[in-house]
Amino acid sequence: MYRLFLALHYLLSRPIHLLGMGGVMLGVWALILVVSIFSGFLREVRAHVQSATSDLTVFRLRWPTTYRGLEQRLAEDANVAATAPRLVWYGLLHPIERPGAAPAPQEDLPTRADARFVSLIGIDPASERPVSGIERWLGDVTEPRLRVAQPADPLPRNAELPGILLSRTRMQRENLVAGARVRLTLARMNAVNGEQQLHFLDREFQVAGAFTTKHVGFDESNAFVPIDTLRAMLAEGEGAVVNEVAVRLVDPADARATVERVRRALLRDHPGVMVMTWEQRNEIYLQAIGHQGSIMKLILFVIMVVATFLVFATLSMMVVEKTRDIGILTAMGATPAGVLQVFLTCGLAVTTVGTVLGILAGCLSAFYLDAFRSWMKAAFGIDLFPTSVYHLERVPYDLDPLWIAQVVGASLVLGLLAAGIPAWRAARHDPLRSLRYE
Amino acid sequence: MTQPVLSAEKVVKGYTLGGETIPVLRGVDFQVHAGEMVALLGASGAGKSTLLHVLGLLDPPDSGRILLAGQPVHDLPIRERAAIRHRQIGFVFQFYHLIPELTALQNVLLGRMMLTRPLAWLRERRAARARAVQLLESVGLGKRLRHRPAQLSGGERQRVAIARALIARPRVILADEPTGNLDSHTAAEVLEILFRIHREEGISFVLVTHNAELAARCHRIVRMKDGLVLG
Ligand SMILES: Nc1ncnc2c1ncn2[C@@H]1O[C@H](COP(=O)(O)OP(=O)(O)O)[C@@H](O)[C@H]1O
Ligand SMILES: [Mg+2]
Repeated sequence: MYRLFLALHYLLSRPIHLLGMGGVMLGVWALILVVSIFSGFLREVRAHVQSATSDLTVFRLRWPTTYRGLEQRLAEDANVAATAPRLVWYGLLHPIERPGAAPAPQEDLPTRADARFVSLIGIDPASERPVSGIERWLGDVTEPRLRVAQPADPLPRNAELPGILLSRTRMQRENLVAGARVRLTLARMNAVNGEQQLHFLDREFQVAGAFTTKHVGFDESNAFVPIDTLRAMLAEGEGAVVNEVAVRLVDPADARATVERVRRALLRDHPGVMVMTWEQRNEIYLQAIGHQGSIMKLILFVIMVVATFLVFATLSMMVVEKTRDIGILTAMGATPAGVLQVFLTCGLAVTTVGTVLGILAGCLSAFYLDAFRSWMKAAFGIDLFPTSVYHLERVPYDLDPLWIAQVVGASLVLGLLAAGIPAWRAARHDPLRSLRYE
Repeated sequence: MTQPVLSAEKVVKGYTLGGETIPVLRGVDFQVHAGEMVALLGASGAGKSTLLHVLGLLDPPDSGRILLAGQPVHDLPIRERAAIRHRQIGFVFQFYHLIPELTALQNVLLGRMMLTRPLAWLRERRAARARAVQLLESVGLGKRLRHRPAQLSGGERQRVAIARALIARPRVILADEPTGNLDSHTAAEVLEILFRIHREEGISFVLVTHNAELAARCHRIVRMKDGLVLG
């Protein structure tokens, strides 16, 4: 009992230990709050990326590959629910006419200096609808001037000009509205007399309206056009060519296994074909964000290390002072192990209380962060987290019990180290020295 | 003759300093019997404190034996020696050695909780407290229970230390110049308390002192010189 009793009284009579405790608390708080916001953010970003990507994508198909054979092969897999043909190409987009907008002086510039790079996805809206979120992407646009006139048939065949769906951000930036005319320039290689030559293809489109996914990167680069139009430009006489197939799965949880199965099934007829889940497709992007999280954890961990030094320093000071008591404690029946435990208990108590307070502070501040943010915005006009940039409704957070357990574990291990060294020194102190000399 | 409570047989003890061994005890035989009060006299540096430490199992002898009620105890494992110190032996030192963070009452209680587990302590706490209060009252500190050592005079601190040495009901108290740091009037008061305890509780005492008058009041006087007990 004397160990607890002494440890308690040693600590209570030394407010300096609050410093170490505060340090541990700060470190734990930061590790929990920042990491929980970050993993919440990562979860949201993943959801956004997933919502903009089909469950599986089949690509790297030899040119020209026609859709029919592929479609049948894919349909044979039990986990495939629906497929949609895609022809993906790259082009330059040049606005010709912006109805309702003042004509810009450079509009007639023949150089097309204001042309923008765009990744074109040729789709068949009817097949696309059950596979990807296109219906939602169109429906989420609320501005009347940007909306698609008929979401059920966004790219009508019988229109005067072929339609193109641009992202809302692109339309806003380019000052375009639905009905505007744009020109697309594409290029492909053709063999002429056995020699590869670059051919340019040019066509006018009419902006059918805007789409918006929550995946900022996807919206930034992509535009949708009718697959037939794109085929007519790039693959005249080559049939129903596709170079990508979007696949919806019955059970998306089984995606990894399905990828392998589908790839093997396709490989014989389509050497070099690649099949990826939405996650694999965006791996680099998701990993980059994940790496940022790891770096942040490392930086925050430094606070813990500093706190550990604080605990170590205050405890060492105390041990130097308290070696005087070791003599009488030994005379009364303490062993070196008991002395060690007295000081170890001190250090662990400081760390444990700091850790518990840090966890409480971390969890509470994660819960009330959004309220705090709203209040800051209302009271001072300061927005701590510009959520709209990432299409977030509130500051996300994800309190992961495993992470909290890891933080607690790390904090206790550090605390044990910080307390262990001075405690060990105390235990090795010769009690007779304390008794002989005052 | 009754069996000694605590005895040293041919105890040799030296300290090694820079490769050279300084002999401090050079074959000491010493006994204290039940209820006996022995005065240990000798010049400074004679080895009195060292003998007390060896007798109290704080310092192992280089050779020779320490017997407690006839049983050799000097070579017991460290935990058992610590337990014997706690249960059988009380210490009083010249410089009190109270824990400054604790009140008088807590200092005394600490002497009781050394071997008690926290859960068992919950049960024993009341009884221990009552005894601590009673001991402090008996040394005249009934009104100073909540004072810390810094708020007490030297004589009062030594009285707290005496109460602390008594709380675990030891068989022997080893007192190393308990009044060495006190003025003569206070010293006399403290000594009266020690003699009274000896009378009332029948505890054996080994009292290291320079005071011949005080030694004369003890049952037996043992003189030491240069690490040896004189005839
Ligand atoms: N740790 C030690 N190292 C070296 N010499 C010591 C040590 N402790 C005691 N001594 C020596 O032992 C001798 C006896 O000391 P001590 O037992 O304290 O004598 P007394 O209590 O009779 O004055 C002294 O000469 C002292 O210097
Ligand atoms: Mg001495």
